[in-house]
Amino acid sequence: MSRRLPRARGEGPWPWLAAGSVALSLLMLGGLLALLAVRGLGHFWPAAVEQVALADGRLLAGQPVREERRFDGEGRERLYRTDNRDLDGGIWTWVAVEAIERVETPRELLVLERRRWGSFVGWLVAMEGVDGRHAGEAAWPALQARLAEIQALRRERDELRDRVVVPLVRRLEQEAGSRAELAEANARIRALQARMGGDTLVLESVDGRRLEQPLEEVLRAWRPNAMSPLDKLAAWGQGVWRFLAEDPRAANSAGGVWPAIFGTVLMVLLMSVVVTPFGVLAGIYLNEVAHQGPLTRMVRIGVRNLAGVPSIVYGVFGLGVFVYGIGGSLDEWFFAEALPSPTFGTGGLLWASLTLALLTLPVVIVATEEGLARVPDHQREGALALGATRMEMLTRVVLPMTMPAMLTGLILAVARAAGEVAPLMLVGVAKLAPQVPVDGDFPFLHLERKFMHLGYHIYDVAFHGGDVQAALPLVYATALLLVLVILVLNLTAIFLRHHLRARHGALPRH
Amino acid sequence: MIDPLPPKPVPRRQRLRRGRDRLATALITAGGIGVVVAVMAIGVFLALEVVPLFLAEDPQVSWRGLWLPQPIEGHELPQHRWQPDTLTAEESPRYGMAPLVWGTLKAAFWALLFAVPLALGAAVHSATFMSRRLRTRLKPTLELMEALPGVVIGFVAGLVLAPWVERHLAGAFSLVAVLPLGMLLAGLLWSRLPASLAQRLPPGWAGLWLMPWLALLVILSLWLSPWLEARVFGGDLRGWLEAALGLDYASRNALIVGLAMGFAVIPGIYALAEDALSGVPPSLGEGAQALGATRWQTLWKVVLPAAGPGIFSAVMIGAGRAVGETMIVLMASGNTALMTLSPLEGMRSMAASIAIELPEAAPGGTHYRLLFLAALLLFVFTFLVNTLAELVRMRLRHRYRRLGRGA
Repeated sequence: MSRRLPRARGEGPWPWLAAGSVALSLLMLGGLLALLAVRGLGHFWPAAVEQVALADGRLLAGQPVREERRFDGEGRERLYRTDNRDLDGGIWTWVAVEAIERVETPRELLVLERRRWGSFVGWLVAMEGVDGRHAGEAAWPALQARLAEIQALRRERDELRDRVVVPLVRRLEQEAGSRAELAEANARIRALQARMGGDTLVLESVDGRRLEQPLEEVLRAWRPNAMSPLDKLAAWGQGVWRFLAEDPRAANSAGGVWPAIFGTVLMVLLMSVVVTPFGVLAGIYLNEVAHQGPLTRMVRIGVRNLAGVPSIVYGVFGLGVFVYGIGGSLDEWFFAEALPSPTFGTGGLLWASLTLALLTLPVVIVATEEGLARVPDHQREGALALGATRMEMLTRVVLPMTMPAMLTGLILAVARAAGEVAPLMLVGVAKLAPQVPVDGDFPFLHLERKFMHLGYHIYDVAFHGGDVQAALPLVYATALLLVLVILVLNLTAIFLRHHLRARHGALPRH
Repeated sequence: MIDPLPPKPVPRRQRLRRGRDRLATALITAGGIGVVVAVMAIGVFLALEVVPLFLAEDPQVSWRGLWLPQPIEGHELPQHRWQPDTLTAEESPRYGMAPLVWGTLKAAFWALLFAVPLALGAAVHSATFMSRRLRTRLKPTLELMEALPGVVIGFVAGLVLAPWVERHLAGAFSLVAVLPLGMLLAGLLWSRLPASLAQRLPPGWAGLWLMPWLALLVILSLWLSPWLEARVFGGDLRGWLEAALGLDYASRNALIVGLAMGFAVIPGIYALAEDALSGVPPSLGEGAQALGATRWQTLWKVVLPAAGPGIFSAVMIGAGRAVGETMIVLMASGNTALMTLSPLEGMRSMAASIAIELPEAAPGGTHYRLLFLAALLLFVFTFLVNTLAELVRMRLRHRYRRLGRGA
């Protein structure tokens, strides 16, 4: 654009408000994404732990979280996450900024992630291990070495439990299997368990209270102030990986989100399997087969409008028809021995996928129709003139050209389904599903089971958890994950559509 | 539609092909009609579930009882109440739908109040003033904004924005005045810039280079607002609101919902309005400009009237989305079934009620059917609104074609 634009003098103030609203919208979008990215990713960074000496002589240690103006307007106060729930009864401490005498970051300050009571922040005095007492400087290397050992044992035990014990128990439930084998496996687990125990950490909080901590309960230990940036980066990477790969702990407020990722992906896959053939079929019918009269036009408008019907309405429909209607009947016919506890008569994976398939059907139909309308008529005429039947014309000529459009529709449908939560609350999502819907048990895919979902996980942890403040970083991380998945899907769809437009030109108007 | 050639005497293979074609066509027809009917069955099913409510002569439910205020012990005047759960056995549940409808409309109203000016402003700017390169980038960006899941927006609104606004009330309110003034000020400053500098900041890219300016204004006004609050409102705006205007401030209120849901509906309204504006035949605008009108005058006097129905349909579709959005209202509104005008108090919408209460309602019971009635209302409302919008858009497209030919 080398042409010089005339300067827009004398347009008045309104264009600037219009330009400002573009800027403001973009600013809000950018702000939201930046907030999610910074808080979501920052959660895994091993932040420095400060030791704070107050004017009244008290000592405390913790991570500074944020600073606020006090409600009465007098000065500011700072929130520290001090952990040590078993000693203090809580994990947060507000400190008036004026009362702080000095702030230090001692290298020896230790952070423990424990199975119970949350984290610990303080000093490591000694480790009373199975191989004797390590005190002072020797305690930290001994702790690290022993912790690695215990971790290996724990992994071995979990593997044993999943691979050997659980299938055995399941076989025993159905027929008489070998009890001896099970007893032997259980004995091995007990032996592993025994090798994990026996060590005790002697800990001291910064204000001098002693605590004896069995090492078995400790998941990880680190000294954030002594870590180099490279160490921290490695720890950050491990943290992200654990978030993606582990099960949630402590009523979903800690640990990872693996079952939620799994549930979301599985549900969306099932949904695509259902929605693609039906959506494409309806699209082909409306565009290629049906008589193009006022009735078809009305149906087309109706289908388009269904995309605007609130998702919760689809949820209500799913609950009424799939869960209580079809599911209830299935239970009466095939699972009568399990009644009154429902098998299919309650929310589950199958019903959730079907509901979302219905919800996304208009998206796929509309995309298919647009793709079909974009194929020039002379292509069809050419095929027919060469003697092809209509079916051959469709499958050999028209549908291959429509493929990118259908794919775009499917991706948009998947993106919409992955972010939809409201209907799932009615038809089968669970806050904590004890059994993953896929396992080694026949028929391997359990359509009647409830499942976890990333979006519902956000809602549940943020609004039904105990300490929202403590779970907030995890919610940020989950939200970031969900948004990333959806953004990537949408970008793919946009790219595909762009590619498509470049190939076939603009959509001819009806 | 192109039909195959008329049949001739054909060999067996040909017959087989033709038979397969007929079979496939029949299958497609059956499948297509089946899918379309299944999708359309949603409304019919909801209506069928609601009908028994009014046939059964349930003493708790009557058409009047649902919408009119009912006498309640301890209150002089009849009240609207939505209390499906009762604490004691003697108390009977109260089913007044009015507070839920009110909450739904109130949330949608504040969302539209926030979203419509921003979305239309953005549409006007990108259809009229924006450089073509920026516009091709802006559209997909706003499409991504539309794809953000409601649960994420609701979480940020309910757990981050609401407590933050509560602490920085004066700062948040001052933004309402500061941002538009800041945009105007930017325009004023720009017109005073020396020509060389003004060419570096072309108006076509104003949507981008205004961003840092607005961010700076936001930071400034947040930094200055405690001082303003101390000077004007005695250091406590919330107390002042309560004392001077009698307004209670609930942390999760209609303004927060409006902001969050407005954010969610901006992209939808923008996309349709922009389509309508840029679809106006260029000959119209060119004629006006040739007669000496500025671009804004052209827009205001020629393009906007031509695109008016399209913009109306964009707003209608935005309203449909705002009425039915569930997670944002559920997470950011506090969910108390109040009927107040105050934007600083919460509400409970129909969609949120369905999401919360339906899993616990006994199938076939009064409460269950009433929630189905709420779903039916949502369905009918959004369906009608969308159909209206679609019809308007179709007529508009027709008109554009005529206008384009005529010129």
